Amino acid sequence: VKTQLIIVEIPLQPVALLHAAVLARLRQSGEPLRWAITRVDGPVVQVEAIVTVGAAL
Amino acid sequence: MNRPDFRRPYTVALIVPTGVGAAIGGYAGDALPVARALAQVADCVITHPNVMNGASLYWPLPNALYVEGYGLDQFASGYWGLRPVHQNRIGLLFDQAIEPELRQRHLQAADAARATLGLSLTDYVVTDAPLDVALQTAQSGATWGTIGNPGSLLRGAEQLIKTAGAEAIAVVARFPDDVDSDALHNYRQGQGVDPLAGAEAVISHLIVRTFQIPCAHAPALAPLALDPTISPKSAAEELGHTFLPCVLVGLSRAPQFIVGAGLRPTDVGSSQVDALIVPESACGGSAVLSLSQTRTRIIAVADNLTRMQVPPAALGIDAITVSSYLEAIGSLVAHRAGLDPLALRAQVLPLSAARSETIGRSAVFPTPIFV
Repeated sequence: VKTQLIIVEIPLQPVALLHAAVLARLRQSGEPLRWAITRVDGPVVQVEAIVTVGAAL
Repeated sequence: MNRPDFRRPYTVALIVPTGVGAAIGGYAGDALPVARALAQVADCVITHPNVMNGASLYWPLPNALYVEGYGLDQFASGYWGLRPVHQNRIGLLFDQAIEPELRQRHLQAADAARATLGLSLTDYVVTDAPLDVALQTAQSGATWGTIGNPGSLLRGAEQLIKTAGAEAIAVVARFPDDVDSDALHNYRQGQGVDPLAGAEAVISHLIVRTFQIPCAHAPALAPLALDPTISPKSAAEELGHTFLPCVLVGLSRAPQFIVGAGLRPTDVGSSQVDALIVPESACGGSAVLSLSQTRTRIIAVADNLTRMQVPPAALGIDAITVSSYLEAIGSLVAHRAGLDPLALRAQVLPLSAARSETIGRSAVFPTPIFV
């Protein structure tokens, strides 16, 4: 198991869909532990996150 | 004869994200005055350790719920509820990397909390390997961190819960002393971003995610040299050998998480949050996104600058932007009183015909009473 900092970009979308879209994108790299959208650049949002990879216990 | 009061409790969530250089709340418990003020105008304040923790300084608020950030996100999403408690038995988990003398300082702080404050602690546990905390700063300027041995952290917490009967976990991890000297200098001057904050959050998030139990973290650090120019905003961390007292006090009455079970009348669910107060530039977190999809009024505070660049409008979040926390408190009082804040301004424009296209929920129509 490890913790990992990742930075990803996803398309800006209605706020009702955004939360699920962020989680879905982060889950491509691991299980999201802590994340935030840190910037919005036109049609793209940047997300910084710590994800865990592997089983913890 | 007492008159009946049919108003439900007015509940406010206060979030100041950690590790983003918040001008208010980015240092040593310097958003605690905001929480204290809110506690005077709200029946219930839900906030998190970064707001309430001032190292050796703390101010227990009887109507505040101390909720770790991962749990707060789950709460805001509607997945978890909060169950207020009278007392938690706290388990203390030490990173094996802490030197014996430094560990002893923390044990003395814990014993002092037992003897002087009457807090209940279990016997302590030392992790079976050094946690190997590493600090990182991302391109946004936010600080993050990784844990080299998260399994060791979780095994230690599990031992405290299952063997010692802990109801909340206080973690003390050894943090690197060789933090970039500029970052540390700036932090002590009340500027820049807390270099430790992001990694601290990762530690507590791991435990809360795994065990659904209250948790908070205090870093173990070698004492710093005396600096007479320290900012008052950072000075709380210069007072002693540990940052542990505030963590123990907060955890001693932190609400338990209710996961996958029905809420009791005295529990708190996200649908009860009337207002959320957040820095204007930091609206990109999980809890803000979740609560923006509910009836919660989002109040964005402009002068609490952060390194984030996510104002509510950039994401299409319907929010009221105010200049300061003082103004935010006025907005809360008006909301609680059932007033349209516009009615408190010098000019009130006449009503006009509603447009046919979709409009924001807060702009024209009064909020429905029965939902």
